[in-house]
Amino acid sequence: MEDSTSGGEEDYYYSSDRESLDGLENEDSDFQWAPSKGPTTKVITKESLLAAQREDLRRVMDMLSLREHHARTLLIHYRWDVEKLLAVLVEKGKADLFAEAGVSVVECEDTGSPLLSSSTAMCDICMEELPGDTMTKMACGHRFCNDCWTEHFVVKINEGQSRRIRCMAHKCNAICDEAVVRSLVGKKHPDLAEKFDRFLLESYIEDNRMVKWCPSTPHCGNAIRVEDDEFCEVECSCGLQFCFSCLSEAHSPCSCMMWELWTKKCRDESETVNWITVHTKPCPKCHKPVEKNGGCNLVSCICGQAFCWLCGGATGRDHTWSRIAGHSCGRYKEDREKKTERAKRDLYRYMHYHNRYKAHTDSFKLESKLKETILEKVSISEERESRLRDFSWVTNGLYRLFRSRRVLSYSYPFAFYMFGEELFKDEMTNDEREIKQHLFEDQQQQLEANVEKLSMFLEEPFDQYTDDKVMEIRMQVINLSVIIDTLCKKMYECIENDLLGSLQCNTHNIAPYKSKGIEKASELAVCWNNKASTTADTCFPSDCGTSGKHDRPISLGSADDNGCPSQKRPKKETYGGAFFDLNLPAEVLDRN
Amino acid sequence: MIDFARVQKELQECSREKDTSGIKVSPKSDNLARLTGIIPGPLGTPYEGGSFEIDITLPDGYPFEPPKMKFVTKVWHPNISSQSGAICLDILKDQWSPALTLKTALLSVQALLSAPEPDDPQDAVVAQQYLREYQTFVGTARYWTESFAKASSLGLEEKVQRLVEMGFAVGLVRSTLEAVGGDENLALEKLLSS
Repeated sequence: MEDSTSGGEEDYYYSSDRESLDGLENEDSDFQWAPSKGPTTKVITKESLLAAQREDLRRVMDMLSLREHHARTLLIHYRWDVEKLLAVLVEKGKADLFAEAGVSVVECEDTGSPLLSSSTAMCDICMEELPGDTMTKMACGHRFCNDCWTEHFVVKINEGQSRRIRCMAHKCNAICDEAVVRSLVGKKHPDLAEKFDRFLLESYIEDNRMVKWCPSTPHCGNAIRVEDDEFCEVECSCGLQFCFSCLSEAHSPCSCMMWELWTKKCRDESETVNWITVHTKPCPKCHKPVEKNGGCNLVSCICGQAFCWLCGGATGRDHTWSRIAGHSCGRYKEDREKKTERAKRDLYRYMHYHNRYKAHTDSFKLESKLKETILEKVSISEERESRLRDFSWVTNGLYRLFRSRRVLSYSYPFAFYMFGEELFKDEMTNDEREIKQHLFEDQQQQLEANVEKLSMFLEEPFDQYTDDKVMEIRMQVINLSVIIDTLCKKMYECIENDLLGSLQCNTHNIAPYKSKGIEKASELAVCWNNKASTTADTCFPSDCGTSGKHDRPISLGSADDNGCPSQKRPKKETYGGAFFDLNLPAEVLDRN
Repeated sequence: MIDFARVQKELQECSREKDTSGIKVSPKSDNLARLTGIIPGPLGTPYEGGSFEIDITLPDGYPFEPPKMKFVTKVWHPNISSQSGAICLDILKDQWSPALTLKTALLSVQALLSAPEPDDPQDAVVAQQYLREYQTFVGTARYWTESFAKASSLGLEEKVQRLVEMGFAVGLVRSTLEAVGGDENLALEKLLSS
């Protein structure tokens, strides 16, 4: 949150990514040891994976005075949840903690080392009498010959069980010392030893609730680590924005479940099926759906079969307007009528929400194209002899437009489920539902109106206007941006507190709204160990080529202290059109 | 590659101890990867008196991978498929340890016969019966042992024959025999009293 740039460093760290529209700088105030309250979402690249797990390893090693491999075994068992591990430690004590995870810290002097060559021993696996120096004893005390150990490790690694290779003895829960595995396997199969190491490293991602692979295809090779809250939206350094919880596209204010249902609903043809139930009847002979396009109740299918439209039963062809010869089905069937009515109503309801959802998604796509033309206008304007130099308000406004369009479009599937019967049928009375719906729709409409207004102003050909007129538009855009931000924030608050907050079921977690957009994960600092340095630039892997560099030295601004969920950033200077700060109050921008 | 030296040693050990354990393992052909195991039904169970044949296939990774085992003899047991003879036993799957042997594995199978685990069934029908109508289960298991796991399973046909000759219907005779676990006298008593 807190970053202000000092001009001198600016060009030095300039990278082309800065020009991307979402180029909100990533704040990385905690690239050194200093714990930060700022954004803590991290990109973990292949290079920083080791550093990422070292933090946790180090904590456990220090706390329990363990060696690294023991700490790793423990952490793998507890899925890298240090807090959980500590809870078990407090609750059950060290001995149980270790036993459960298969850690044997009772160190025999000859652990992992061969016996004297003079003595021989029986290997219980191959059942051969072998010289002691070809055998290895694990920390659990079981001794087998090196060939058998190696074979065992190879099978386990190939089975994908590198992370927990147990001792060969029956019912021995001990996890084999990774150093022994590495050295024995490495002698015969160096490639497998590498695989083993990689599996151990990747356990930090695979077994960790707070770390997930970026779902990009083709895969960018990165993983994202979040802190505290799994229900959030993040942006990987490869540029992909996604919901951390369900790994699909960022979809707030829809919950993951709503989004899943919605995409499924849009994908499959359930609504087409609905239409067919409402408007057609199956032919009793060929079973094709037949639509009645007028006339009396005797319908004939293209297959030639005649049937009664009222009951769907096959009939003869003799009929009048009021009756079909030899056929009577006058009894009223309330059930079916109701069903048809319901299907019709559901269909219209879905169409209502879907049309609006689609409209905003389409606008969003169009506006993305518009971005280029607008940026062009900006550069034209900048060329002009004018007292106006700063056009950051355009890009800021444009960005705000994109953000709010998305929010708006996802607010429709949210409303579809929030006020529908599928998810919350028994959670609200009809009256409650109605009140809530009004509340929400009011906000939605306000937001919608302002978003359209903003869109209108941004499309003005301001490059052809006089300075005064441009200033006017600028004022409007800045004001609207602030209003829209506030409205989005309010809508999320309303959802969280008034709509979902009062319900029994709490399975709907909504990723929080962030004024500055979806949080961009920052590169994980890898200088925590002996490479510590005082300059920021060495704190980042040099080869994280895909990512937007944001690693400017940072002078800490005061963190947001007004209790607002979307942390505001301190005033900062802006550099050219590619920069924008969405959160500066209008009056601050005005003074610029 | 299968460690044939070890398999050889295992076979020797088995044949040395076969009188005490009652368990026999013998190769089907000369390549040692296909074997046949025989386990006696444990005393005090519906499988008592039966002799169960188990088909053993050693995977390439043996003994680092578990041997594949299944019943050839039909058996009525919650953890053994009554259709295919497949066995649901942890040590034949993820709990296998290279320190286990064919003999210990067969002993475990034998132990499974005396201690079924109906909550983790291989054969749902049998498991249901075990949980809901234990007596029927015991009857059926005993009848299956009688019919399929005894050298003289033709004895059963003779019993059926004799009872049918006394004037009872074949179907009734079979179900009654099954209900009492193959005991001819009990079956006759039951048939007469019904």
